[in-house]
Amino acid sequence: MANVQTKTASQAQRDLERKRRISLVIRYFILIVVGLFMVYPLVWMVGATFKNNSEIFSTMNPIPMKPTLDGYVHAMDNYGGTINIWQAMLNTYSYVIPEVILTVISSVLTAYGFGRFKFKGHDIMFTLMMAMLFLPQVVLNVPQFLFYNKIGWVGSKFYLPLIVPTAFAVETYFIFMLIQFLRNIPKELEEAAKIDGANVVQTLTKIIVPMLMPAIVSCALFKFMWASNDFLGPLLYVKTPAKYPATIFVRLSMDSESGFEWNKALAVSLISILPNILVFFAAQNQFVDGISAGGVKG
Amino acid sequence: MKKLTATIMTGLMATSLLAGCGGTTTETTQNTDSQPSSEKTTEAAPAADQQADSGSADSYESCTLTFDWWGGDARHEATIAAIEAFEAKYPGITIEYNYGAWSDWETAKASEYLSGTNPDVQQVNADWIGKYDADCTTYLDLNTVSDVLDLTQYDASTLAFTQDSKGGQAAIPIALTGRTFYWNKATFEAAGLSTPTTLAELEAAGPIFKEKLGDNYYPLVLTEYDRAIMLAFYTQAQTGEPIIDQNGNFTLTQDQVKDALTWITSLEENHVIPTIEYYDGEGAESIDKSARWIGGEYAGCFTWDSSPSSLQNALPNPDDFEVGCELMDTGKAGSGCYVKVSQMFAISAKTEHPHEAALFLNYILNDEEGAKLMGTQRGIPESKAAYAVCEAEGAIDPVVAAAHKSVMDSNPMYWNPLFDDSSLKGDTAVYNTLFENLSYGVRDGSYSIDDAAQDLYDAYVAVAPAK
Repeated sequence: MANVQTKTASQAQRDLERKRRISLVIRYFILIVVGLFMVYPLVWMVGATFKNNSEIFSTMNPIPMKPTLDGYVHAMDNYGGTINIWQAMLNTYSYVIPEVILTVISSVLTAYGFGRFKFKGHDIMFTLMMAMLFLPQVVLNVPQFLFYNKIGWVGSKFYLPLIVPTAFAVETYFIFMLIQFLRNIPKELEEAAKIDGANVVQTLTKIIVPMLMPAIVSCALFKFMWASNDFLGPLLYVKTPAKYPATIFVRLSMDSESGFEWNKALAVSLISILPNILVFFAAQNQFVDGISAGGVKG
Repeated sequence: MKKLTATIMTGLMATSLLAGCGGTTTETTQNTDSQPSSEKTTEAAPAADQQADSGSADSYESCTLTFDWWGGDARHEATIAAIEAFEAKYPGITIEYNYGAWSDWETAKASEYLSGTNPDVQQVNADWIGKYDADCTTYLDLNTVSDVLDLTQYDASTLAFTQDSKGGQAAIPIALTGRTFYWNKATFEAAGLSTPTTLAELEAAGPIFKEKLGDNYYPLVLTEYDRAIMLAFYTQAQTGEPIIDQNGNFTLTQDQVKDALTWITSLEENHVIPTIEYYDGEGAESIDKSARWIGGEYAGCFTWDSSPSSLQNALPNPDDFEVGCELMDTGKAGSGCYVKVSQMFAISAKTEHPHEAALFLNYILNDEEGAKLMGTQRGIPESKAAYAVCEAEGAIDPVVAAAHKSVMDSNPMYWNPLFDDSSLKGDTAVYNTLFENLSYGVRDGSYSIDDAAQDLYDAYVAVAPAK
């Protein structure tokens, strides 16, 4: 009798184990299939950097049949000695990094203000700010250009029209995200800090910022991605080839009128996104936390 | 394992996001020759010693000029070489230049025009005079600097293309471009045909292609905008009048529009051209990137004489590529084709140094040394001096030369820029939607030739009143 019972118990366990395995296989199968679909364009892109034009357009196979290194060789070309891919990448990060830092600081300050303090006009200003969320960049381009032109910043060697605005919390989405995150931080913590004698600034830097870290990292990463992908901004405000960032450099040779070697364009693109990928991998755990926390609990 | 997979997945997702920035927009209206002549551009010989014998450059002030252009690698290299040679020849004049690709270039330039910060010298697109110089205050009237800038190098009829509304010479046309046919000889040979020299031969080739080579083979492929131009050529050959005349009047009746649309539809029905559905089904960005063109299934195309190289080089065997001739010749009114200016150079009306700007423009357009360095990167030069230099240097690609000759020899007609008005030409404008609707509609009965004739006539008359 005891024997039979043990048998059923182990049988049940085995059944459970088998079910779990099947479900695991199914889940991974779906994940892999979907993953392959998502990864394919990227794998194709890497493969295409080694192909010539006719192979790029005539086959879906990501593996090059007649591999060539021309793309990478030409990617190192210099334009009149003033700009090459490394200089372009350096230019990109020389404004992306200040943009990220300023955006984070200004957004945290603004979010803290809106999230924790009641002041005259709070609601109307918050509404106005939220309305900005729906304002497309396109409508801002012309007035902004006229403004920066008036104060002489167009063609600035220090990318002023790109960097300076970020000090004024122009990324409404981040403020929104940070405020949502802030709501989940218990007020008691701040009260405790107050009792311990911390002033407003200390509360922010010692209590709020560490708690907000996952959200701040998400903001920083988003800003990093957007800023380094920005094409129109540099095109409008950068007027000397030596100051071109990577986004413009990638396009320099892409002349659809006469045709061009796609392998070069793709090789330049691939090289110029490598730092972004590295940054993303380095910060991705925090990043995922930040998005899910900000998004779900909001 | 799970963590690793998640890491890789999120990483790749982010990468796809990042990679998304690499898209391009295609602009097929302006075309230039792309013969890479980099080996020539390296000869940027400093020619300061020639300064003494260049009489026209008698006096100039030291100054800094700004200059910008768009294009591809070969054009950038050639232009930079010419700028460096100019600076060496005229010490004291510094050219601050800026260049890019066509995509979004106009957006950036439009904001400059709006704020009056456009550069002293500039490469200008064919429709910019109408768009940004409507009141004739954006571009300098080049007649005022004709003592330095040699306008006699250009035919009066060519210069007429780039006059502003008050008759001032707003810009210099660098090159003219027209449309012609290009054939894939190998496919025609496989069908047992020679490449068509008349419209009748082309029309007859459709059924033969279908029978001998199969349903996938077409003697010609036409996009929506190609069809609009074909329609213009077809009607112009019949009426002998430009579709929109010098006074900006539309010259066709609705019945004539209907006839032409019936003809275009008959090409589709007779397997001469694929339907828009079939063409779009492949999702090729342009014909030179179409696997069907590369593979020879499309045996012909109808495009600008200045851009055959990308089409030719796309073929596995570029020798199969053949330049055709204008086919519309009805004997009554010529071939019906037109030419237009591909690109121009202009000087800003606000420049503080018109004399030096003209000196520079003359150097890159008409000077022997400058023209040699500039080459044919913006099409076959209209400047007689530059043409002579390029011809002597062998810089003109024989295929481009043949195509250009075929166009220029066919007695091209006047072309009114209203034909490319933004209400007619553009992604969501009339040419695209109408020819697409017609191609789909005549087969399922939702849109008839009569509807199309009415809509196209109305769209034209809205831009150019009927005569």
